Amino acid sequence: MSPYFESYLTVGAFAGLGAVLVLGMLGIAAVLRPTNPTSAKKMTYECGVDPVGSGWSQTYVRYYVFGLLFVIFEVEAVFIFPWAIILERLGVFGLVEMMIFIFILVLGLVYAIRKGVLEWE
Amino acid sequence: MTFTIDYLALAPELVIVGTLLVVFTLDMVLTRPKKFWIATAAVAGTALAAIPLVILGVQGETRSMFDGSYVVDEFALVLKGLFIVAAYLVLLMSHHYIESERYYQGEYYFLLLASVLGSLVMASSRDLIILFIGLELTTAPLFLLTGWRKGDAKSNEASLKYFILGVLSTAILLYGMSFLYGLTGEITFSGLAEATAGRGDEPAMVMAILFVIVGFGFKIAAVPFHFWAPDTYEGAPTPITAYLSVNSKIAGFVALLLMLYIALPGVSEVWAPALWILAALSMTVGNLSALRQTNIVRLLAYSSVAQAGFMLVPFAAAAVVGADLEEAFAATVVYLAIYAVMNLGAFAVVIAGARKTRSGELSAWAGLAQVDSRLGVLVAVFFFSLAGIPPLAGWFAKFAMFRSVMIAGGTTTVVLAVIAAVNAVIALYYYAKVVKTVWVDDPTGEFVEDVEAAPAVSLRLALWVSLALTVAIGFFPALVTFVGDASRVIAVGG
Amino acid sequence: MVEGILFVLMAVTALAGAVTVVVARNPVYSAMGLLGTLFSVAVLYVAQLAHFVAAVQVIVYAGAVMTLFLFVIMFIGVDTSDDRDERLPMQRFWVGILAGVIVLLAAGITLSGNFDWVPAAVETIPEATNGTIQAIAEPLFTDWVLAFEATALLLTISAAGAIALAHFKGQRT
Repeated sequence: MSPYFESYLTVGAFAGLGAVLVLGMLGIAAVLRPTNPTSAKKMTYECGVDPVGSGWSQTYVRYYVFGLLFVIFEVEAVFIFPWAIILERLGVFGLVEMMIFIFILVLGLVYAIRKGVLEWE
Repeated sequence: MTFTIDYLALAPELVIVGTLLVVFTLDMVLTRPKKFWIATAAVAGTALAAIPLVILGVQGETRSMFDGSYVVDEFALVLKGLFIVAAYLVLLMSHHYIESERYYQGEYYFLLLASVLGSLVMASSRDLIILFIGLELTTAPLFLLTGWRKGDAKSNEASLKYFILGVLSTAILLYGMSFLYGLTGEITFSGLAEATAGRGDEPAMVMAILFVIVGFGFKIAAVPFHFWAPDTYEGAPTPITAYLSVNSKIAGFVALLLMLYIALPGVSEVWAPALWILAALSMTVGNLSALRQTNIVRLLAYSSVAQAGFMLVPFAAAAVVGADLEEAFAATVVYLAIYAVMNLGAFAVVIAGARKTRSGELSAWAGLAQVDSRLGVLVAVFFFSLAGIPPLAGWFAKFAMFRSVMIAGGTTTVVLAVIAAVNAVIALYYYAKVVKTVWVDDPTGEFVEDVEAAPAVSLRLALWVSLALTVAIGFFPALVTFVGDASRVIAVGG
Repeated sequence: MVEGILFVLMAVTALAGAVTVVVARNPVYSAMGLLGTLFSVAVLYVAQLAHFVAAVQVIVYAGAVMTLFLFVIMFIGVDTSDDRDERLPMQRFWVGILAGVIVLLAAGITLSGNFDWVPAAVETIPEATNGTIQAIAEPLFTDWVLAFEATALLLTISAAGAIALAHFKGQRT
């Protein structure tokens, strides 16, 4: 195995450990706990009240805008990583171009605030 | 890091960017009664963008930036000028339309200007990445704008159809581009031209090129990739329909021509037959479908599909017989310019007429000339020009097209020329039918006859400008031949 | 050797995810299938020494875009997925045929002709460095600065447009 893949072995080990932990916990619990199901126990827990409707309920369209703003600023973050790495060599020019980039994105955010999309009621 | 940007060469784009940011900010600041400033700013900014264009045109030197992936030559300048004039006319058409229907105004102009910016970028792009970003910038705002009449089911349908097919075509195009890059390792058009030359027999290369053509086929609404066009044109706000059929279509053509003429001339044996088939199908299917339309916007939609076929003819003809592409290139650009003027005029007259008829159905337009003869004259001018009747501008477009086909020569081109000629006659029938309905038929219903129905000042200005250009070009084709000649000065970049 | 095994493993999971997207009755499962495909492809990127692309794939696509997908699915409502009337007769059959033809065609194109265009395998795999991210950053912030700024505009367009179309409150024009 090449050193390149060896270095990624850590990632694999972590992923594997995570899976083992979760499956192990659930598995041990399944073995140790007494099983005595009743119809009341099988019901989804909802603060002691009987659940209403199905779990797959419809959400509001306003969440869509939140999701979209999340995507936008995530993409911004992705652009900032490589920018930060070579910022020193780019100098002032690099700073200005990223400022313009962020300015345009923030304008979109200000627009969302002005339209009252982010207000909760 | 040595790296310079030629700000003068970028000035038209920068002015548009500035304008759209101002428009966007104004929309957040201004209260409802003061919103008209937004439209004013948009119109003024678009006009302002023409100034650096003229300065660059007078200097007349080819400027190349970013390792030759962004080039400002005479071809780019001419097309940018065309895009800006067309955008200006669409803005004038939009002004009253948007205000009177109580749509969101600020965002409308913001999105429209962003689309204009995209088309300006495309005219200068000389590599796949910039071309693609320009294309996205041109079309993405249009997905939203076609659905701008939110309460109207037809508008929603228009937006959805355009979006789904637009995204699909973008994906196909991008897939083709990624293959081209994977096969050659080149991203600039000059590099691609070198690396693809003589490789037209590789199956993977053929597939990549066909994907690119299919992707652009959707953008220019050529048959068999035109299915979205009639529904989208009908449902969208009419100024946006005008923009779709002119700016967006021309932008698609520019991208297609740039790719084929600059990046892929060495594999013309692959794309020439495909283009030939697209041209023949678009003309025939577009015109035959237009014959049966009863809605004037749908009729114009099929007409613009057919016109796309005519525009493809010079290039397809020259490439099939392996003739010099330069002549065909110039003829196509001339056709694009004339088509832009007369089609915008036709849509302006549809907007003006719809204010009186309150309907897009052709039957409601019967006898319109009896109550408003000036509108009747305009209908006649623009529709006869689209049909190609001298002395209106359209004849010269057709003339340039047929001339370039004759220069190319060869059997296959003659076949294409015959198909084009037959289609020109079919087209005359339905264009003349509209004029006949407006002038000869008896009115079937009442027309709206109040001050509200009179065309607004901005719309009248748009009508006058397109009327003047249509008639002037028809009498003095020299006004537009320089467009073709200038487009011959095209830099490969890189 | 490792790369070969990794490729086969990830290609299979990617395809399995893709098939799930199409076949699953519940759109949420389709979204999960897509998630699996995106992750598998991210691993393939890593195998091609493109760490940055892999990271972007996980952060943007598997993270943000999938969240948006799930929002949209839940916004439309899962129950309406029962509405599956097929307008065209035998539509599944014909689509199946079409898909088969396309797969065969793609296989034919790949297998026919020569493989000159496939770059030869590199004997020595370079060490894992920050090289890829720098190689992306250099041209992105110099030669393609225009495309970079245009991306910001595209993102703002999508935000403003979505808000204008999706937001009904007050109808401030």
